[in-house]
Amino acid sequence: MTYLNELASSRELLANLVAREVKGKYRRTLFGQLWSLINPLALMLIYTLVYSFIFKAKIEIGDPSGLNIYPLWLMCALLPWTFFTAVVNGGMSSIVANGSLVKKVYFPRIVLPVSAMGSVGFTWLLEMLVLAVALLVFGANIWVWIPLTVVFMVLLAMFAVGLSMVLAVVNVHFRDMQHLVGILLRLWMYLTPIIYPISLVEDAVTPETAWLVDLYHLNPMEHFAVAFRNLLYDNRMPAGTDVLWCVISAFGMLAIGFWVFAKNEKKLAELL
Amino acid sequence: MNDVAVSVENVSKRFRLYHERNSSLKSAVMRGKKSVHEDFWALRDVSFEVPHGSTFGLIGKNGSGKSTLLKCLAKILYPEHGSITANGKQASLLEVGSGFHPELSGRENVFLNGSILGMSRKEVARKFDDIVSFAGVGHFIDQPVKNYSSGMYVRLGFSVAVSVSPDILVVDEVLAVGDATFRKRCEGKFKEMQQEGRTIILVSHSMGMVQSMCDQVAWLDGGELKQVGGAKEVIAAYNQTV
Repeated sequence: MTYLNELASSRELLANLVAREVKGKYRRTLFGQLWSLINPLALMLIYTLVYSFIFKAKIEIGDPSGLNIYPLWLMCALLPWTFFTAVVNGGMSSIVANGSLVKKVYFPRIVLPVSAMGSVGFTWLLEMLVLAVALLVFGANIWVWIPLTVVFMVLLAMFAVGLSMVLAVVNVHFRDMQHLVGILLRLWMYLTPIIYPISLVEDAVTPETAWLVDLYHLNPMEHFAVAFRNLLYDNRMPAGTDVLWCVISAFGMLAIGFWVFAKNEKKLAELL
Repeated sequence: MNDVAVSVENVSKRFRLYHERNSSLKSAVMRGKKSVHEDFWALRDVSFEVPHGSTFGLIGKNGSGKSTLLKCLAKILYPEHGSITANGKQASLLEVGSGFHPELSGRENVFLNGSILGMSRKEVARKFDDIVSFAGVGHFIDQPVKNYSSGMYVRLGFSVAVSVSPDILVVDEVLAVGDATFRKRCEGKFKEMQQEGRTIILVSHSMGMVQSMCDQVAWLDGGELKQVGGAKEVIAAYNQTV
């Protein structure tokens, strides 16, 4: 419990570290914060070109929104995914990157992965706002779903930061981790129905390989992708199982991350 | 009010010297879980008490465990055995300007560094003018700190750290930086803190400074406490071995 108190008392440090990241990142760039929007926009163009025009991936029409626009459908799941990977990567390297600080000053180390999440989250918030405006322009009725979307954003943040805490500790022991995780995340992305709909997988399996679909559903990120798409693109309530998966994986992962981190925190300075 | 500010009881700190360390996954997998190491005790059964309001010096040769002990006091390292109890708000100054972001301005860094050292935003805002004038960086305060001269950088870091006004201040050899004027100002600041009844624990190789500032001194040699007591006697004993 004292640990949580300590964390609460370092709120300001957390806010300052987030501000440091956000402000420092685009210093001395011409477009500044705009870069954080250019990046997802470029991804959107690339995936739309490859999957929509060249591969002719067909998507489900938004039900009940009636939207049929691949780039919007893509971004509803891709933005959460890019946030997730940025948090995992940033949080994982946060201890090693701030090694000089960890070795010289005492403060609750857990603020480092959490502040990495905060600074990425700030960018994500901007991206989601732009996406929301685009959805409104193209006729999706997202107003009523905004509060629930925010809840799911918080859940995803919990899931991501929990995972990044575990990886941050592992990364201090084995620096290979950051390279390995980069590859694993790419693999994970293609195994999650983000740039293609899950119906494509369901169509592809034969009765003998139907278990593949069940395997797909074991991936928490699949449920997050579906939930975000339901809320933003379809404008309806996500299915109960998806909600349950998201809630359990968020709280579970955060608890594991917290536990692992708290257990290893004291050894970090020595290992760096 | 307890008159002991910090009590160090039977503190031992071990480091592992790895001959073959599993610092990559490959070597961990190839060799199994075993890594070959040898124990090195940087501190062995060190105990002393620092009275409230005193200035306490740690002396010893290079590698005698002074910095390790200081890091234990600063809660950066944790001893294998024994315990360290501090009564009061503690701040440590092992390196000045740690956590400065080179691209951010001096002003932003003062707030950032202040919060790293445990001050609230309001507190920093209140002390901001003092910090800037003590550091003597003048109008450079709104420039990115990467453009600072190394002296300015250190001075700004130092003035943030001393403005924390802790009950117990733990200082590593940081006074060796800065020019003579600044050093004088620092000594003045320490005197002021002493008069306010704050406890200072410092490491220094400059016997002149230790003698002029400290009431009590602990002499470490090879990780063991050789002697602890009044500044004069301990320094005299230490000087005989040099």
